[in-house]
Amino acid sequence: MAHLKYESQLREPLVTGNKDYHQVTEDICRPIEAKPTKLWYVGFYIAVALLMFGVYSVYREVTYGIGQWNLNKTIGWGWDITNFVWWVGIGHAGTLISAILLLFRQGWRTGVNRAAEAMTIFAVMCAGQFPIFHMGRVWMAFFVLPYPNTRGPLWVNFNSPLLWDVFAISTYFTVSLLFWYSGLLPDFATVRDRAKTKLRKLLYGVAAFGWTGSTKHWQRHESLSLVLAGLSTPLVLSVHTIVSFDFATSVIPGWHTTIFPPYFVAGAVFSGFAMVQSLMVIVRKVFALEDYITLGHIEAMNKVIVLTGSIVGCAYLTELFMGWYSQNKYEGYTFWYSRANLFSPYGWSYWGMMACNVISPQIFWFRKMRRNLFVTFFMSVLVNIGMWFERFVIIVTSLYRDYLPSSWSVYYSPSTWEIGFYLGTFGLFFTCFFLFAKYFPVVAIAEIKSVLKTTGDTQKDGMDKQEEMQPEEFVHEYAH
Amino acid sequence: MASIREQFEIPGKMKTWALGLIAVGVLAMIIGLVTKGMGDEHEKTVFIGTLMYNSLFFMLICNASMFFICATTLAMGGWQVVFRRIPEAISTLVPIFGGIAWVVLMYIVFIDHNHHIYHWLSEEAKTDHILSGKLGFLNPVFFLIWTTLAIGLWIILGAKMRKLSSEADEAALRGEEPGKSFVWRNTVSASLFIVWFALTVGSTVPWLWMMSIDAHWYSTMYSWYTFASSFVAGMSLIALFVIYLKNKGYLEYTNQEHLHDIGKFMFAFSIFWTYLWFSQYMLIWYANIPEETIYFKTRVQGPYKGLFFLNLIINFVCPILILMKRSAKRNYTLMTFMAVLIIFGHWIDFHQMVMGSLSKEHVTLGWLDFGIAAFFIGMIILFTGRALAKKPLVPKYHPFLKESVIHHT
Repeated sequence: MAHLKYESQLREPLVTGNKDYHQVTEDICRPIEAKPTKLWYVGFYIAVALLMFGVYSVYREVTYGIGQWNLNKTIGWGWDITNFVWWVGIGHAGTLISAILLLFRQGWRTGVNRAAEAMTIFAVMCAGQFPIFHMGRVWMAFFVLPYPNTRGPLWVNFNSPLLWDVFAISTYFTVSLLFWYSGLLPDFATVRDRAKTKLRKLLYGVAAFGWTGSTKHWQRHESLSLVLAGLSTPLVLSVHTIVSFDFATSVIPGWHTTIFPPYFVAGAVFSGFAMVQSLMVIVRKVFALEDYITLGHIEAMNKVIVLTGSIVGCAYLTELFMGWYSQNKYEGYTFWYSRANLFSPYGWSYWGMMACNVISPQIFWFRKMRRNLFVTFFMSVLVNIGMWFERFVIIVTSLYRDYLPSSWSVYYSPSTWEIGFYLGTFGLFFTCFFLFAKYFPVVAIAEIKSVLKTTGDTQKDGMDKQEEMQPEEFVHEYAH
Repeated sequence: MASIREQFEIPGKMKTWALGLIAVGVLAMIIGLVTKGMGDEHEKTVFIGTLMYNSLFFMLICNASMFFICATTLAMGGWQVVFRRIPEAISTLVPIFGGIAWVVLMYIVFIDHNHHIYHWLSEEAKTDHILSGKLGFLNPVFFLIWTTLAIGLWIILGAKMRKLSSEADEAALRGEEPGKSFVWRNTVSASLFIVWFALTVGSTVPWLWMMSIDAHWYSTMYSWYTFASSFVAGMSLIALFVIYLKNKGYLEYTNQEHLHDIGKFMFAFSIFWTYLWFSQYMLIWYANIPEETIYFKTRVQGPYKGLFFLNLIINFVCPILILMKRSAKRNYTLMTFMAVLIIFGHWIDFHQMVMGSLSKEHVTLGWLDFGIAAFFIGMIILFTGRALAKKPLVPKYHPFLKESVIHHT
């Protein structure tokens, strides 16, 4: 009998608990069909409250102007752009998992891809708020769209990386949304077919676009996934590349450096995976999904974290080295005084970034640590703090010392409404995520089923005979 | 249940070709030494520079094979096991080419004191207010220590990986416990190699050996760019040997599926190279700072204009147009053509990286370059052939062999 895929017994099973197809459906649909728990309500209301605070903060900013924030003429970008880059970075893991890992045929993506993609979409939504409201007169936001107009005609500046951002992020958002949604179709149909009330049947039925599960549907679905994966792969790279161009095309010391594009992409994947870890460690516990999001999944993601953290570390050290090697006084001052000198006004933020992003993730070289849930959760939060500081360091420490000492601004701290806006995006993010967790299948049912028969523990236990075969015998028996 | 042809025997023709190429190369070097090497300062610099970029390029593309093995080991890859002995065999060239490169570099720094190549060796460097500040990094002692360490550890750690691989020929590796222990020991060795690789190829070594030719100039991207260039050429080299052995009737377990995935690597890393190329070029062009644009001045506007665009056409336009299609990556003839093209393209890339700084007035690409390259290619054929003949071609008891046999892309 010829096989299409064979997986060594040495690899741990991706689905545990000796599941069959029906149990998979039951386990994943349970939270959707049950009433929300008290814990869910508590979390949801906290998220909504934060969102409301954010809305009020934005209201203040829109009504009274950017002066509500503590930016000044030297530090013209502060928390707003830091938060923007931070959220966009987080929004990289989902599409990386769903697209690039699909192309790499990594079976473990099936356990986490759905939630990671959802997280990506919410994170990009949060990111978009910052540049939009930083415009000040937000009612003019449509000026970023290039179309023949009656304003002169006044066109957008196609030479500006800020405009490229508009294109890159909106494309990324659209494709990610399509990818996520097309993956959801078969699962919505499953929920629809199990629905007990008419309303549920109608709503999930509409959401499922009339999916019947016919071979033709599946065939089209598979080719669509592959095409979208092919499209998303360059998008994953392009978005943060263009975000890095916002800085690197300038001549500001500390911003203008050629390594920025790949280093930003690595950092984005790094922070995205950390956010997926933070969410997954909780979701698998609350929804009892430990058989689908196993320690093996957590470990695989921790490996990605140590890899990307080290790439980012390599880039930090490269920049620091070039700050000296270039013998450019301004570069040297930015890197060795404004950043690496612990006793300079913002030196602490540089070392905070180094500790969180480069030094502490090295703990994941050890298997025991990669499989420890407490360490994983703690580290994932630490990495996201570190990645926030990375953007803060890049933006603020390059700006606060102007070329003219008379313009130096030694002190910048956010106002209440600046912080409020940031907290508000957390509110938005978690409001969306709580709704998603309640009404959507958080693990891709159909995809888990597709790997069950090659990587489930039942299958693995029955493989002794094949594993013991001589290679020639095995080839004769199973290859074609 | 046919048994497989596990033992590679070097065909007479392969040996003849290898020795022929080496002879051509030696001849070219002798003629080069007499005509250029004994000439004026500029001629001499061109001669040594040509030797230098060739030895660095071919050493790095052979070392890329070991990087491929270690990266796939760390990623717990299974698909590559059926042809894994080929990159292993290519990586046996690292000690040989490493030795050659070491001699060439040390000759430049310690015997020739060639400050036309390394401007930081000159007396002026001590008074030049930019260069004098860099001498903590760019000095003969550090150059000697770091070069020796870099090449030395690649050799030692690579040898360790190859030694471990031999265990997969023994039936004792069957079963869960020995398999797990084998995977674990491989992981540890591979991670040591990768970390050292990041500290050398991924950062310091390209700065020291190549970027310092333009001693005043700097670019943080330089090392990652050099890595991408040598890695994609290294993947193409693996592809060539896989195809050669298939044509000779070996590697029964390797099929189009594996070739397809090697082709994906060639495609993906060609695009990755282009991405790094674009990022470096565009950012320098956009900011337009004279200290930085000087590097591209001779290359885009000067005599290197032709090579500059040829580099992009071969290494980007051709791979994206030709290798995009699934059928192309599964076609032995087309893959052979593309592999040769990509290796040639990145050799041209190395040529312009080094010679573009040494001979700014005119392009020196000619018989000497091709002659020396012939020497290195001959060496690769000869020693890879020998290494292939020393071990079985398939690591029969590798825990992931069965995964690799049943591989569909």
